[in-house]
Amino acid sequence: MELLRAEGLAIGYGSRIITEGIELSLERGKIMTLVGPNGAGKSTLLKSVTGQIPLIRGKVLLEGKDLRTLSPKETARKIAMVLTDRVRPELTSCRELVAMGRYPYTGLMGRLEKEDLEKIDEALAQVRVTDLSDRDFSTLSDGQRQRVLLARALCQEPSLLVLDEPTAYLDIRYKIELLEILRRMAKEKNMAILMSLHEIDLAMKVSDLMLPVKEGRIPRPVTPEEFISQNTTEDLFDIDSASLRRWYHEL
Amino acid sequence: MADVKKSLIDHDGQRLGGAGRFAYTAAGCALLLFAVIAASVSIGSVSIGLSKVWSMLGKGLSLFVRSVFSKAASEELSALISSSGESSILFRIRLPRTLLAAILGGSLSVSGYLLQVFFRNPIAGPFVLGISSGAKMVVGLVLIFFAGRIGLISSLTLVAAAFGGSLLITLLVLLFSQRVRNMSMLLVVGIMVGYICSAVTEFCITFAADHDVVNLTSWSMGSFSGADWADIRIALLVCIPGLIAAFLMIKPIGAYALGEGYARSMGVRVKTVRVLLILISSLLSACVTALAGPVSFVGIAVPHIARTLLRSSRPSYVISTSFLFGAFFCTACDLIARTVFAPTELAIGTVTSVFGAPVVIYMMISSRRNREV
Repeated sequence: MELLRAEGLAIGYGSRIITEGIELSLERGKIMTLVGPNGAGKSTLLKSVTGQIPLIRGKVLLEGKDLRTLSPKETARKIAMVLTDRVRPELTSCRELVAMGRYPYTGLMGRLEKEDLEKIDEALAQVRVTDLSDRDFSTLSDGQRQRVLLARALCQEPSLLVLDEPTAYLDIRYKIELLEILRRMAKEKNMAILMSLHEIDLAMKVSDLMLPVKEGRIPRPVTPEEFISQNTTEDLFDIDSASLRRWYHEL
Repeated sequence: MADVKKSLIDHDGQRLGGAGRFAYTAAGCALLLFAVIAASVSIGSVSIGLSKVWSMLGKGLSLFVRSVFSKAASEELSALISSSGESSILFRIRLPRTLLAAILGGSLSVSGYLLQVFFRNPIAGPFVLGISSGAKMVVGLVLIFFAGRIGLISSLTLVAAAFGGSLLITLLVLLFSQRVRNMSMLLVVGIMVGYICSAVTEFCITFAADHDVVNLTSWSMGSFSGADWADIRIALLVCIPGLIAAFLMIKPIGAYALGEGYARSMGVRVKTVRVLLILISSLLSACVTALAGPVSFVGIAVPHIARTLLRSSRPSYVISTSFLFGAFFCTACDLIARTVFAPTELAIGTVTSVFGAPVVIYMMISSRRNREV
């Protein structure tokens, strides 16, 4: 079932267009990963698709509805995000931070009902940070923080989860762990995941679809198989295949 | 799945934690506030025994409540007030002064907290960012240039002038803050802006006619002396709506602490929240500046102390504790200001600086240690 659809997007800041003519379609339960060099517009695309920054042209449909017709609260009930912004709230326990995910569901004063508390505990358990619940967020390692932030997003019960470089700063063990959780969540919650990754090898393992993003090029989703067969990596990062092969050989 | 179930059972019914600590802290602050109010109305050039204070206050309060409905009670109330020298001092001088210090101290602390939320910076406050000085400048200009023409200026006009000045300087600091992301730089900019405002004020005072300046000099020192019930009425009129508005913001404030991106992704209307934060904070600090003059460091130091006591930064806890502790802090400082070198009175800012500035220095040092610079 199609969840997200982007038609003829032109994205950028102000009137400066970074990329245009973007067509996307993402189904529930599927993972789509944006790959490409730094500054190619991966973050901009993620922010545009989720309505964080205005579109220059085109439209984004979520469950068939134009994203612009939804209120911020309605959007927040459908889309949750894990961003690259450095989060350093002081004196905030992990449970409190995860509880913020209930924001679009609680009333004026943000009172948490029993159901909300259950959702919070469930989210903590899903990313295996239940034992960190009462720890101060600022005392955690990068890997733990990223998982807690993911729990916060899950707690928002999105149908679309958007993550901007969730594996940055993580060592390989945490990277794999995080991506495994994402795979599991996509299946269990029948949730669509749209994210950007730096590691092409990991992206190929975890994704159903890959979206190579490069400045001045119209991004088109491809399967990981197509991605490898078309030598997309070399093309994306402007490296010739001979030197890439030599590099891998010498290793 | 098993661990999901287990954690649900383990934590079933358990709230987010910290509620017990909040209850103790708030109760402790309320007790301190009560004690210092009692001390403040009883200590002074004429000391009034606590039991006497107690009975007079009880009588006065019941008469005041009844005076709303009956004229006889209100006559009785004025009779009680002028019945003796002590009662006159209590009801006409000390009680309004003490209550004003408490209300304004609490409001100033909440105002500082809102600014800290806005700038996502614990060192922000109406005084260090030059906002109080801006308010002082506009109030000073109004006093100098209009006092002569329209005679007596109402306190409400002063509040409006201070509000205008606060907003002006806040917008200016905002403009700079987009260029400097660094927290110490923001502070330096604020202090400089504050100095410029003070310079303008001093300049006008120097060249203004003596009779226009009379009002200004005592006020610009910052003091709660001369507070009367009319001041209290205005303080309540402005601060109660401001405080209620601040309390209604606890939910977006919590989300805003995660940064604008996250806040927006949770459905917060970030622009609206930012505007409201600035307006409420300016309104509260403007009321303080208009009624008592500039009061330094309360806005930064008190929310920090509140967070430290609570070991939490949950907005509902911090706002209420800040109000209570700020009320206590200002009343205590005012008590010190008027008693320690009696009959000479110190400016309230002198005392709050002595206690508040070290807290800020400590915060700067410890934040250097804990955060990357």
